[in-house]
Amino acid sequence: MAAVSGVAQARAGCRAGLTRYCRRVVLAPFFGSAAYSSVPAVNSREGQQTEGSARRRGRTPQSVRAHIPPRTERMAVDQDWSSVYPTAATFKPGSVPLPVRMGYPVKRGVPPAKEGNLELMKIPNFLHLTPPAIKKHCAALKDFCTEWPSALDSDEKCEQHFPIEIETIDYISSGTSIRNPKARVVTLRVKLSNLNLDDHAKKKLIKLVGERYCKDTDMLTITTDRCPLRRQNYDYGIHLLTVLYHESWKTETWESEKAEEDMEEYIWENSRSQKNALDTLIRIKASENVSNVTKEELLASEVVKDYRNSVVALKNEGETENNMSRYKESVKKLLNIQVSL
Amino acid sequence: KGDKAVTYEQAHPPHYIAHRKGWLSLHTGNLCGEGGAAERTLEDAFLRRFLGGTFPGCVLDSVVLKRRGNLVVLSAVLSRALPPHKIYFLGGYTETLLSHFLKCPVRLDLQTLPARLPYKYL
Repeated sequence: MAAVSGVAQARAGCRAGLTRYCRRVVLAPFFGSAAYSSVPAVNSREGQQTEGSARRRGRTPQSVRAHIPPRTERMAVDQDWSSVYPTAATFKPGSVPLPVRMGYPVKRGVPPAKEGNLELMKIPNFLHLTPPAIKKHCAALKDFCTEWPSALDSDEKCEQHFPIEIETIDYISSGTSIRNPKARVVTLRVKLSNLNLDDHAKKKLIKLVGERYCKDTDMLTITTDRCPLRRQNYDYGIHLLTVLYHESWKTETWESEKAEEDMEEYIWENSRSQKNALDTLIRIKASENVSNVTKEELLASEVVKDYRNSVVALKNEGETENNMSRYKESVKKLLNIQVSL
Repeated sequence: KGDKAVTYEQAHPPHYIAHRKGWLSLHTGNLCGEGGAAERTLEDAFLRRFLGGTFPGCVLDSVVLKRRGNLVVLSAVLSRALPPHKIYFLGGYTETLLSHFLKCPVRLDLQTLPARLPYKYL
């Protein structure tokens, strides 16, 4: 494959002829300006015929050929760049018409030029991803794309129709093997509000899954990786979800032994606080010699309800300014304490 | 003194990697949590020796290896000692032979310079 140089090149003075092992003279011309080319040019000695290789295509006269100048000097300003760099390729100084310099400069010097610059070759470049090239890619890919379904135009609708989110990760690495053991992990995410659970079922489900439930986002996350294949892990995850759902609806006989320590949230009815409050109120009323008020009346009264709400809030939500002040108010009302200012 | 020409690659000792030099061989094997580093390194050593031997005396500077998925891209800077038809033949020879050895596509990008470019003189 010969590179025929049809360009008349100004040749500077000296030519050095070196005799090589194959007894063919190779000329290495030294030019005033550096003329590097990515494509090696034809060198032939005057008057010497080479064996019938493709070098002579009838157009090359038997005179000394210089190295053809790089392509950059023949590039039009408005050329189609995506045909110069159609795919990701190494930086070729003879194909990129920019006077790029890269490297740490020598003292009182400049960074090295682009010819033979290993630094420019080492780095990945994005010369193949100019905006017009990307437009072309998109236009070519458009035929293979389908429209997003217009009915799913918001996150809420997506969640409503597709409540379960499956997350899988594919790994690409350099090398001849496409297998990666990390690719078998499957993560299932579902909001419990999307599942059909009543109060008991929801509490039982949360107890069954333990750490996999996040209270703030109401999200159940199941991560499976115990099977060797992704398909198997996905099936196992779905199976787990199904089993959890059905099990949480069932009520076992031993669930009736649920004690106060097992309760997830504070329930005021039948608690010590209720007993204490009612006892105190009954004693107050007795000391005031009011007729025996029944427990139900007391429970239904405003002050007791207020007290109940503030205690429940304190226990469930923790101690905040709001909760503490509400508790203070409700206790004052309950015990009829008037703070005289 | 002051007459030994060194290239940019040779002039910077290894502690300048990631500061003034890049990596000669890029692959995912050395990333956190990825495997295959040893195999890639072995392949790199083999590829450099192979190229050094196929283009005897012509390789001016270290070969830059890049791996893009399955593809191996070798970028070499050669001197113009060999006539172009020989360089093309050797290039095709390396590509086919290495593809068969490594069982993956191998691409060779060549650049020729008249002589080794000195970065500075030590």
